Amino acid sequence: MLKRKLTILLFFICFANNFANSTDNIVFIKAEFLNKNTVRIPFKLIDHLIIVEANVLNQIGNFIIDTGSETLILNKIHFPSKYNHNVKNNETTGILSYIDNPIEKRLKSFNLQHFILKNKNSDIIDLSHIEKSKKMKLLGIIGYSILKDYEIFIDLYLNQITLTKVDKYGNRLDPKVHVEKIVDSLNFKLKKHTIVINGTINNQKLKLGLDTAAEFNQINKSVNKKTLKHFVPKKRINLSGASDKRIEVIVGDLYRLKLSETIYLGPMKTMLTNLTRMYEVFGTQLDGVLGYEFFKYKRTIINYRKEKLYFINYPIIRK
Amino acid sequence: MKKIITHNILLFLLLVTTQTFAQNEKVKGYRIEGDEIVFSFDKRDYTKVSKNNYWSKSDFEDIDIHNVVVSGEFNNWSLHKWKMIKINENIYELRKKINDFNDEFLWEFKFVINNSYWAEPSKEDFNTNEATKNGHQLDVYNLNFTTAYVDKNGNATFKIKGYKNAQKVIISGTFSRWNEDYFNMLKTEDGWELTLQLRPGEYEYKFIVDGEWIIDAENPLMNKNEFDGFNSVIRIGKLVTLKLNNNLNASKVILTGSFNNWNENNCKMIKTENGWEYTFKLSSGKHHYKFIVDDNWIVDPNNPIKEYDYEGNINSVYIVK
Repeated sequence: MLKRKLTILLFFICFANNFANSTDNIVFIKAEFLNKNTVRIPFKLIDHLIIVEANVLNQIGNFIIDTGSETLILNKIHFPSKYNHNVKNNETTGILSYIDNPIEKRLKSFNLQHFILKNKNSDIIDLSHIEKSKKMKLLGIIGYSILKDYEIFIDLYLNQITLTKVDKYGNRLDPKVHVEKIVDSLNFKLKKHTIVINGTINNQKLKLGLDTAAEFNQINKSVNKKTLKHFVPKKRINLSGASDKRIEVIVGDLYRLKLSETIYLGPMKTMLTNLTRMYEVFGTQLDGVLGYEFFKYKRTIINYRKEKLYFINYPIIRK
Repeated sequence: MKKIITHNILLFLLLVTTQTFAQNEKVKGYRIEGDEIVFSFDKRDYTKVSKNNYWSKSDFEDIDIHNVVVSGEFNNWSLHKWKMIKINENIYELRKKINDFNDEFLWEFKFVINNSYWAEPSKEDFNTNEATKNGHQLDVYNLNFTTAYVDKNGNATFKIKGYKNAQKVIISGTFSRWNEDYFNMLKTEDGWELTLQLRPGEYEYKFIVDGEWIIDAENPLMNKNEFDGFNSVIRIGKLVTLKLNNNLNASKVILTGSFNNWNENNCKMIKTENGWEYTFKLSSGKHHYKFIVDDNWIVDPNNPIKEYDYEGNINSVYIVK
C-alpha cells in the first residue's frame, strides 16, 4: 500500500504564456507525497549536480535544483517557443549560466497539490551544452522563484530533497517533517535571490553565496592574500559554462573556513576563479560560492523566509 | 511492488548469467572495498623501476624499499604526499574514500619507491596506458583506475547476442561516464559479454558495436535520452545485514519494510549471540523498515536515520548507494 502511494505523483506546475491557453504539468517521478504540505523528491547526482526526474509536456527528463538561479528555466531544445518577440534581453542568473537572450514565459500557476502560486516567470533558454557535457536529457532548471516558498532540506546522505510549505514567517505548516534532530543553525542574508553567508578564513571576512548547482566551490582570485594562504592548488582543469565558453581554472583544497563559533569546514575542493562577473550572476558582490562540497559536509535545510540554514548530522556508520 | 519484483528479476538474470567465458583481465594496483579504494603495492608485481626525471630503467631487485607512495593525477604526481602503510614484507596499502574521485571516470597513477623511483608497470597489465607529459609520449606506462571495473566475479554481467562478425563491441554507460573505448566486451559462443563490478545504484548503458550505439534488446528497463532515443537501465543492489542487539528473550523478531510491502512474516530474523540479524539483497535507493519483536513494532535503536510516513508514524531508513 505504502509502495503504491510512493509512486503517486505529486507536483503540478501549470504554466501558459500570454498567448497560449493550454495548461501544462510538471510531475515529479518517484516522489513521496507525505501530506498536503510536505513532499520528498529523490535525486541523483550527475557529476556534482543535483538532478530530479520529472515529466513535463509528455516528456520525461531531468531538472537541476539550483538555488543560484533566479527563475525556473526550461530548455529551449525541448520546449521551443513559438513567439520570438518574447525574447528576454537581460541575462539569466546562476553559476551555471551566462545565458544570452532568454525567452520569458509566464507561469500561470505553480501547483503543489493545494497551493497555487500565481504569476511565476520562467525563462526558455538553450541548455543543450549542459546536456552535451553531462550526457543527459535536461528539461530545465528549478530555481529560487519556485523554491522560495518552501523550506528545503537538501540531503546528500539520503539523496533526496524535502520541500515543506511554510507560512509568511517561515514556520512549517507541517509539524512532522524531520524526525532527526536539528543540531545547529546559521543566519544568512537574502540578497536578490542569493543566499549570502558570512564566513572567515584566517580572520579575513568573506561573503559567500550558497548555490546547490555549483559543482565546485569557488573563491575569487582577488580576495585577501591571507585568505589564499589556506587555498592549496592541485591542478588546472577546463570548464564549460552554460554558454558553452571554455575557461581554464585552478582547482585545489580550501581549508579552515569558519562560518560560526561552531561551524568549521574543510578541506573543500574549490576553484580559484576570476569572478568579475559575480555581481551579474548573483545580483550581489561575493568573494566566493559554496556548492556541492558544502552540502557533502552538511545535510542542510534552507529557510528563505527566516533567512536561516539548519543542519542535521550525518550518521556515524558502524562497521 | 510489481516494479520491485521486475527489478529483482532483472538483477537476478544479470547476476545469474553464466560466466563460462572467464576474463583473464585483472586490475593491478588497487581494489575497491565498500566506500573505499585500496591502493595496493605488491613488490612481486614489478620488475623495473625508473628514477624520477631520468630515462634509464633499472632492475627492481637492486632497490631497498624504505617507503612507498601513491602518486597520480589526483595529487599532482606528488612523490611524497600519499604515503602507504606497510602491511607485510611485500605489500603496502593506502585507503581513500571513493567519493573523493567521482569527478573523473579514469585516473592515472603509479607507485613511487623511496620518494624517487617509479615502479614501472608492464604494458601487458590490463589497466595501463602510455604515459604522456605536456602532450608528449613518455616511454613508460601508467596504471589507471576506475570506480567501475572488469571482474569476472563482478555484480553486473552485460550480454549482447549475435554480431559475430563485429570487430569491436564496447559497453558504455553512466558507470564509465559514457567512455567509448574502455570496456571492451569479450566474444562468446553466441555474442559478446563482459562482467563488471559496479557500486550499488542505477545506471544507464548502451552497447557500441563497431561504432553503432545499440540498446540492450533483452532489457525492458529504459530511460529516454537527450537524442530522443533510449538508454537501457540497470539497477545494482547489495547484500545487507540488518541487526537488532539484545532482545534475547524475545521468541521471534521479524524484519519488515517498504522492500517487502511491510510483510509481517517473510523476514524472520536469526538469533545470534548478541541479538538478531537478517541478511538479504536490497535494491539501490531508500528503504523504510522496522523490527517486530514479539508483535511489538519498534524502530532500529542503533540507526539515527528515521523518517515520518504518511500517517505520522516513524520508520527507520536504510539507503543503498
